[in-house]
Amino acid sequence: MKKVMVLLLTCMVLLTACSSGSKDKDQTASGGEGDSKTKEITIWAWDPKFNIAALNIAKEAYNAKHPDVKVNIVEFAQADIIQKLNTGLNSGTTKGLPNAVLIEDYRAQGFLQAYPDSFADLTGKIKPEDFADYKIGTTSYDGKQYGVPFDTGVAGLYIRKDYIEQAGYKLDDLKDMDWKQYIELGKKIKEKTGKDIISLDPNDLGILRMMIQSAGSWYLKSDGKTPDLKDNAALKEAFTLYKELMESNIVKVNADWSQFIASINNGDVATVPTGNWITPSVKAEASQSGKWAILPMPKLPATPNSVHATNLGGSSWYVMNIPGSDTAAEFLAETFGSNADMYQTLLTKVGAIGTLKAAAEGEAYTKPDDFFGGQQTVSDFSKWTAEIPKVNYGTSTYAIEDILVVEMQNFLNGKSLDQVLSDAQSQAEAQIK
Amino acid sequence: MLKTERQGASIRAKNAFTGWSFILIAVLMIAAFYFYPMIQALILSFKTGRGINLSYTGWSNYERLLTDKTFFTALKNTFIYLIVQVPIMIILALFISVLLNDSNLKFRGFFRTAIFLPCVTSLVAYSVVFKYLFGTSGLINTMLMKLSIIGAPIEWITDPFWAKITIIIAITWRWTGYNMIFYLSALQNIDSSIYEAARIDGASSVKQFFKITIPMLKPIILFTSITSTIGTLQLFDEVLNITKGGPGNSTLSISQYIYNLSFKYTADFGYAATVSYSIVIIIIVLSLIQFRVAGDRK
Repeated sequence: MKKVMVLLLTCMVLLTACSSGSKDKDQTASGGEGDSKTKEITIWAWDPKFNIAALNIAKEAYNAKHPDVKVNIVEFAQADIIQKLNTGLNSGTTKGLPNAVLIEDYRAQGFLQAYPDSFADLTGKIKPEDFADYKIGTTSYDGKQYGVPFDTGVAGLYIRKDYIEQAGYKLDDLKDMDWKQYIELGKKIKEKTGKDIISLDPNDLGILRMMIQSAGSWYLKSDGKTPDLKDNAALKEAFTLYKELMESNIVKVNADWSQFIASINNGDVATVPTGNWITPSVKAEASQSGKWAILPMPKLPATPNSVHATNLGGSSWYVMNIPGSDTAAEFLAETFGSNADMYQTLLTKVGAIGTLKAAAEGEAYTKPDDFFGGQQTVSDFSKWTAEIPKVNYGTSTYAIEDILVVEMQNFLNGKSLDQVLSDAQSQAEAQIK
Repeated sequence: MLKTERQGASIRAKNAFTGWSFILIAVLMIAAFYFYPMIQALILSFKTGRGINLSYTGWSNYERLLTDKTFFTALKNTFIYLIVQVPIMIILALFISVLLNDSNLKFRGFFRTAIFLPCVTSLVAYSVVFKYLFGTSGLINTMLMKLSIIGAPIEWITDPFWAKITIIIAITWRWTGYNMIFYLSALQNIDSSIYEAARIDGASSVKQFFKITIPMLKPIILFTSITSTIGTLQLFDEVLNITKGGPGNSTLSISQYIYNLSFKYTADFGYAATVSYSIVIIIIVLSLIQFRVAGDRK
């Protein structure tokens, strides 16, 4: 028995020695080579139709001027990227991490704060004022600019013209709608066509996020740390509207993304209020061409500063502080950070609406889209992008949302709204320390 | 006299050295990949912070655990799976294995393979298939509607109660065959003369099952119930892939909560390690109870 213990202890000592040894080696390696420029960089992103396609266009544009730089583009699912980044950055070894990576805006602050010095400071390499205002808060930290703002999550109300006409409405009647009127519209559509107005996943409160951001409000106060749930007027209103929506029997419940997309393409729902990145999925059903239009988002009826513009999702590029960071930063600054012409190609080929202000003045931005009945969808979205209220997403969007999802179920089951939000507040305070 | 004694000692030492060198590699590997991470995780569970900004905060994570509603929801869900699913699965596996052990049964090999097959399928693949089978307009609902068993589709995935049922059905499908194999091999070790004697004494099949088969299988039943308990406490893939823990955490398992704390939210590895250690403690306690209740005291 004693021998076993001795053996175990020896192993332990050996292992500890090994692990600290390798850590030192890594640090000297990155310190030594940090300044020299590596001519090969690797970039991680998700979504082949959108982000990867955009990266390929950027790579082409960059290689035209710098043929000596090799850009590797690797596609992972977003959840995998987050997992790989977390494990990589936590283990203390930077081996296997990419030079640049796409991070969703909701998660950006979490990464920047949880792993200080792991991301390269891009201050001076890109000009924050060149981009939409609301993106800067999420991509900068402690006065430094870390991210190159990329796609806008600007939201719009995708709507089936044929259904609303059957329900006795005209498109123009609905341009200045609030969520109350939206629910009324839903009831009318259900009555006349039997279709639901919206498809919702009870695990995803994206619609709530859009509602409160339209009033410049978020789950957290503007410091990005203090939970703001209990006395948040916009959130209260959003909860009430969500419940009303659910109880009006006009919601088609879905359990995941593919069911959500199916409900759109099958013609099961009359509207899709969501981010502009849904466009390729809506257009995927070619037989519905001409039946869709995109309206400004409804606003909150009782919260005075709510506007018809809001955001859902959206992401930006970040450079990892490892050898090759200079090349990666240069690549991003020259492409997504400043190349307005490239954004024209992005728009025509991928349909990706960026947040670089200068890019909004090209021909591609005013091109009518036949699928949406000749509507100038991109220029509409750009207009709304400029109106999105700026909020601080902070570090804990998804942690708080998981608390809210549970409390929302309680609220739907009859618990009082004040109790629901005050319980959520105390849970969030315990969670975020 | 002295010389031979010394010789004997050196042979013993040599033997001991040979013995130790044989197991040394295994011991090193186990120490490196089991014990070292376990101890590191224990140390980690006393640290708090986001990402790499960790600092020692003593018992604060354990204090947080005791007031964490989400953790208790996950714990409750996991115990519901445990209490409902493990007995169902054990009884089902026992029943099937006795049927399949009957030498008069035709196509025994086929049935055995068919029932064992689910547990070699990929966890993710079968979870995804189950998700679509049990979708609102999925195959199960369509069939039940066609057979007029139900009037309206059951919200298998999006209703808190039915989502739990779906998970239970899924894990029962996946793991029953696994337990059945243990019972089958154990049944083959029971001497057929015992059954013969029982038959001559006039014992019915049911009586034989309860008075001979079950007592003879007791150690295996204990073994399968402990492994199933541990397996259920570590339930992850099914929940993540079928329901994502929803709706409203109603199917959340402890393992998925650990995953959420580490990777879905801003990484909080210290607290995640604390939650992991809660599983360790629960497994130890439950295993001890099971040994006490079912095991032979030695």
